[in-house]
Amino acid sequence: MVQHWGWLIAIYLFLGGLGASAHLFSFLAEKGYLGEAGSLARIGYYIGSPLVAMGAGLLIFDLGQGLHKPWLIILMFTNYRSVMTWGIYILSAFIFVGLARAYLAWTKKESPKILDYAGAFLALSTCMYTGMLLYVVKAIPFWNIPLIPVLFVVSALSTGLSSISIVAHFTEKGELKEGRALEAHWLLLLMELIILVAIFGLASSGGRGPVAQLSANKILFGSYALPFWIGLIGLGLVVPLFVYTRMIIRKKKQVRSNMKNVMTEQSEYVPCAQEIENSNVATMLEVPEENVQEDVAVSSEPHGATSKAILLSDGAVIFGGFLLRCLIIFASLPTWNSMLG
Amino acid sequence: MPKIGDLSLSRRLVLKTSAWVAAALVIGVPPARILLADSAPIAAVPVTKPDQKIQLGFLYDETKCIECWACATACKKANNWEEGVQWRKVFNSDSHSLSMSCNHCADPACLKVCPVTAYTKRKKDGIVIHNSKRCVGCGYCLYACPYHAPQFGETTGAISKCSFCYQRQDQGYDPVCVNACPVKALRYGDIETLKKEAGANASLILGMPSPEITRPSFVTIAKK
Repeated sequence: MVQHWGWLIAIYLFLGGLGASAHLFSFLAEKGYLGEAGSLARIGYYIGSPLVAMGAGLLIFDLGQGLHKPWLIILMFTNYRSVMTWGIYILSAFIFVGLARAYLAWTKKESPKILDYAGAFLALSTCMYTGMLLYVVKAIPFWNIPLIPVLFVVSALSTGLSSISIVAHFTEKGELKEGRALEAHWLLLLMELIILVAIFGLASSGGRGPVAQLSANKILFGSYALPFWIGLIGLGLVVPLFVYTRMIIRKKKQVRSNMKNVMTEQSEYVPCAQEIENSNVATMLEVPEENVQEDVAVSSEPHGATSKAILLSDGAVIFGGFLLRCLIIFASLPTWNSMLG
Repeated sequence: MPKIGDLSLSRRLVLKTSAWVAAALVIGVPPARILLADSAPIAAVPVTKPDQKIQLGFLYDETKCIECWACATACKKANNWEEGVQWRKVFNSDSHSLSMSCNHCADPACLKVCPVTAYTKRKKDGIVIHNSKRCVGCGYCLYACPYHAPQFGETTGAISKCSFCYQRQDQGYDPVCVNACPVKALRYGDIETLKKEAGANASLILGMPSPEITRPSFVTIAKK
């Protein structure tokens, strides 16, 4: 059995999805869709396009002619029926627009609206392309499941969000404003888990033919079971889901207790209307620094442990996303595998 | 509300972008043309089914095959296979055998996915030809083909596959594999004619991939 695509392709698809969705989340954060997520608004622009470019650069090494006759790469723009050609166009455009956007963010210049929306559109297209590349291959029945592109997009989004959260943790001093990113992340991981169950349920039960069944079972029970169950499902999905769930519950509790604090403060003295508004807005949307400290004093865990848990979860999500692509690429058997029974 | 400043900036961007695109086209198209001209020996024609005259294909008769490998050996010699590459293979299991190369499909998946358009399908006879000079070695066709016809050569870093001996056919000779078969288990011709042979099964037996994927030009006569 010949499996031509290896690690480099897995990294390429992984970085493509991660970089593009990091860009997308910065766009969403900037437009305010993630609530008060100020810290995430620029990082994605900085890391998005370079990461995608890096992945595309790696692809060159995987091409048989990448180092022999690299000028042939220009021909990759010529077949409009090939998803790979579409991908080359999408990636080139995204890298270009992403770099322009990063430059504007860096120099703090206002970005034209078209550039913002073109960037977001191309970012989403890049995520979709990484899944479509595999989905259109009918001769690999396990790839040819309509949920595969959806899985790739959802997984790309979660790795992108994790990557900007990690970078934000180190670059943004002081309070980290993640806004609704935590909830978004929680939802993405849950969706990924559900889609994985659907794909593997469908394939493993034989709903997509015997070869897809063989591929799925190879991952579920065969030689790839360990990385799948421990790495992807356990470390990459269940553990971060658990951590995010706890964080979200704690955040909700904090908001509630902050509300109570505001109420009691109000009873002690009569603040002016402006003050009430300020404190309300602050407590509703965010957990101000002093309240976090207060909460730390109450809770048994120190503050550092909380952010470390999130940090590690984000790392685990990224690791899981990479593992997912490796598994899907490596474990996919071709139709000719069952020739002559 | 779009501001005037916004508008002018975006117009500038549009102009800039189009300038870049134009520059890219100017830089990109001529080399592509030159490389395209390089591949001149093959009539570089897009697949247009209505004006395709006939579709050639293979017929494999399992009842006659003695698994002597003469077809594959002759092909290897005549076409100078690169190391590790097999244009034609003889599969065998306990009860079955099968000699297969490229099936020169009516709807070739290789041609559809190849980003560099290295594949062409001849109007004259439907032969699917791969031009190794154009091949960038991405391996996408390797995955797309349900029959594992395109083969990756590690030495050259390019794909190659059965060409149905089109140069030989153009000179009036048979493909070498057909010629080499001592028992006439392997034949070729207009696929519509071959399908009418007694016992011929166009829907392909022996656990082969569904013909729906690429509509292969291949029929088999299976052992009972």
